[in-house]
Amino acid sequence: MTTPLVEDTSGLKSGQTLLEVDNLIMRYKTKQGYVSAVEDVSFVLHKGEALGLVGESGCGKTSIALSLLRLQADNGEIMGGSIKLGGKDLVPISEEEMRTHRWNDISMVFQGAMNSWNPVYRVGDQIKEALDLHWPTRLSRAEVRERIGELFALVGLPADAQDRYPHEFSGGMRQRAVIAMALSCNPQVIIADEPTTALDVIVQDQILKELKRIQDDLDMSIIYISHDIAVIAEVTDRMAVMYAGKMVEFGDTADIFSAPRHPYAWLLLSSTPSIVGPRRQLAPLEGEPPNLLDPPTGCRFNPRCPFATDQCRVEEPPLADIGGGHMVACWNYEDVPVGITAGGVA
Amino acid sequence: MLRFIGVRLVQMSLLFLVFLTLLFFLLQAQPGDFSRQFLDPNIPAENRDLIAARFGLDQPLWRQYLTYMGNILQGDLGVSFARYPRSVVSVISERLPRTFFLFTFATMLSYYLGFMLGKVLAWRRGGSQEMGITLGGVILYTVFYPWFALVMIWFFAAYLDLVPVNQFLTPIRWREAPFSANTVFASIIWSTLLLTVGLGLSLWASRKPDNLAQQRLIRWGGVGLSFALFLAFWLPSDRRTFATDIAHHAVLPIFTLALVAFAGVMLITRGSMLETLKEDYILTARAKGLAPKTIRDRHAARNALLPVTTSFVLGLAFIIGGGLITETVFSWPGMGELLLVSVQNQDIPVAIGSLAMVGALALIAHIVVDVLYVFLDPRIRYQ
Ligand SMILES: Nc1ncnc2c1ncn2[C@@H]1O[C@H](COP(=O)(O)OP(=O)(O)O)[C@@H](O)[C@H]1O
Ligand SMILES: [Mg+2]
Repeated sequence: MTTPLVEDTSGLKSGQTLLEVDNLIMRYKTKQGYVSAVEDVSFVLHKGEALGLVGESGCGKTSIALSLLRLQADNGEIMGGSIKLGGKDLVPISEEEMRTHRWNDISMVFQGAMNSWNPVYRVGDQIKEALDLHWPTRLSRAEVRERIGELFALVGLPADAQDRYPHEFSGGMRQRAVIAMALSCNPQVIIADEPTTALDVIVQDQILKELKRIQDDLDMSIIYISHDIAVIAEVTDRMAVMYAGKMVEFGDTADIFSAPRHPYAWLLLSSTPSIVGPRRQLAPLEGEPPNLLDPPTGCRFNPRCPFATDQCRVEEPPLADIGGGHMVACWNYEDVPVGITAGGVA
Repeated sequence: MLRFIGVRLVQMSLLFLVFLTLLFFLLQAQPGDFSRQFLDPNIPAENRDLIAARFGLDQPLWRQYLTYMGNILQGDLGVSFARYPRSVVSVISERLPRTFFLFTFATMLSYYLGFMLGKVLAWRRGGSQEMGITLGGVILYTVFYPWFALVMIWFFAAYLDLVPVNQFLTPIRWREAPFSANTVFASIIWSTLLLTVGLGLSLWASRKPDNLAQQRLIRWGGVGLSFALFLAFWLPSDRRTFATDIAHHAVLPIFTLALVAFAGVMLITRGSMLETLKEDYILTARAKGLAPKTIRDRHAARNALLPVTTSFVLGLAFIIGGGLITETVFSWPGMGELLLVSVQNQDIPVAIGSLAMVGALALIAHIVVDVLYVFLDPRIRYQ
């Protein structure tokens, strides 16, 4: 091979803006009203960067991921904002045009990727389907086999595994094959939604390390989604904390880990077993995310927040830069203790 | 695979033996005996006994049973009482192709249409069109079939006068015919069978080559060639007008049977398709950027086919029962009609013979579906 296995098709240099999401609003229409699953979310993904989205289950992480591909459920509607990929807004384009961007430019490793395979087709044929559709030239059968074999080698699978059916794979193998499929068409962005949640811890760790290695080697741009803040810490450069459809904190992963400024991020971190030290439960995170049919007024976190004041119950805090690109949406972020979280003190 | 088919065949043969045994004793247990039905009541008793002895009817039951089984296994089904001295095998071999034709055509038609419509219904869920068709399906599915068949005859044959009323052919046209209806019918069956095989082969072979142009060439070339050969056989043939006569008579019974069976297939496909559409791999297929039609057909419908195939085995009894009713209502001289008349007449050898044939057909259909299933679902590997 003279050309690299996974080619850069963006034409960008490392660190340049690749994906720019601005004020994205996506809501699900239900009989009881609108579920505001993605509310005014903005972020930028740079070339070669790993960006994390973290938050409890039901906070709208999957909804964001699906919106980027415009694959939200039938009752979901993008009601505002823009998704610019290489400067081009994907929100207003036709469904047909959108199809040419799916997988080709943005591919996805789904939550529960174990079931991402159609049981009646060989794994290789399902990857071939994407290549047949998106590859700029028409590949012969032999060329397709060769490419899939190389992709499989990259994720640690034998080349002849492409002739097998999904049920003949273990969970970990299926997940590796999904990653190979996500890489197959040289996407500019890969979204990995809880890519290892369904796997046992050891396999989970192997696959995370492998993904990280691939991302570094190939200078890939990845959006990582997990409810597990430890996973995000391990693999991302920058991260966003999501709560109830809103982004409440954004910044360098290292910064947020050493000094989370939003009470929710702080509680999330301190109630997670530390990667570097023993678990120290300082303030437990009680309750559950709100029902997004009727979110709390003011700050959406206020009913669960130990620092909440009257202002928080009425007025919604904006996501504001507190220095060095670290953004927080909280009126009282200065009350949040620094350096005594489980993850922070080491 | 071959071993699996072998094992299945052995199982089915054993089942068939049990079935034959049951048949024998069930029909023996029927009230009345053949002498009352077929012999002049005035003949002397000793003559009657003599005749009974010639048929072996004076033997004890177990001897009769052993003879019966021995003969059946040698392919000898005895002679018909009602059509004495014609052998049961010759009666059945005249009738069986007609039933096979009716049944196969109606089944293929109903499964094809039912599957196509069912998947589209599920894909375009919601809307009054879908409601209407589903409701129509439910009505067809639950309708009292003999009544429905009569309505079809009244409407299409009597009222619209599109097709002939009942029967297998128009007798007047055949009076001068230089060949029998059975020979013509045999050519119909063989030619359509070969046509089907030709079409199937072209579609299968068209997937092999790598580029689209070649695929298209093989597909349409094969289809064209198959039809050309079919027409080349029939157009110059002097049997053509006679064949059209039979075909003309076959249209309504096939259509009616297909319509009723179709509704069930459509409803099952719709339900199974709705389940499939919720699967994760459908989301994957959409994320890959596949066209909606590809997702519907290649990913959703292909998986929805599995429960539909299973339903074929379960619905077999329904289709066979429907077939018997169809033949009776349309006076289609096939196995169903033969069976009904022979049971009424106490023509026990023919009744046994036709039931045995229906049973054998059902068992064969079972095996065919089992084998089909292995091809359709890679998760199933028979050991
Ligand atoms: N199709 C839908 N219709 C209505 N509500 C939905 C739908 N899908 C998800 N939701 C709701 O949207 C919110 C966000 O869900 P999701 O994006 O799956 O969160 P996460 O991935 O963070 O767990 C949840 O409250 C969920 O109940
Ligand atoms: Mg999720």
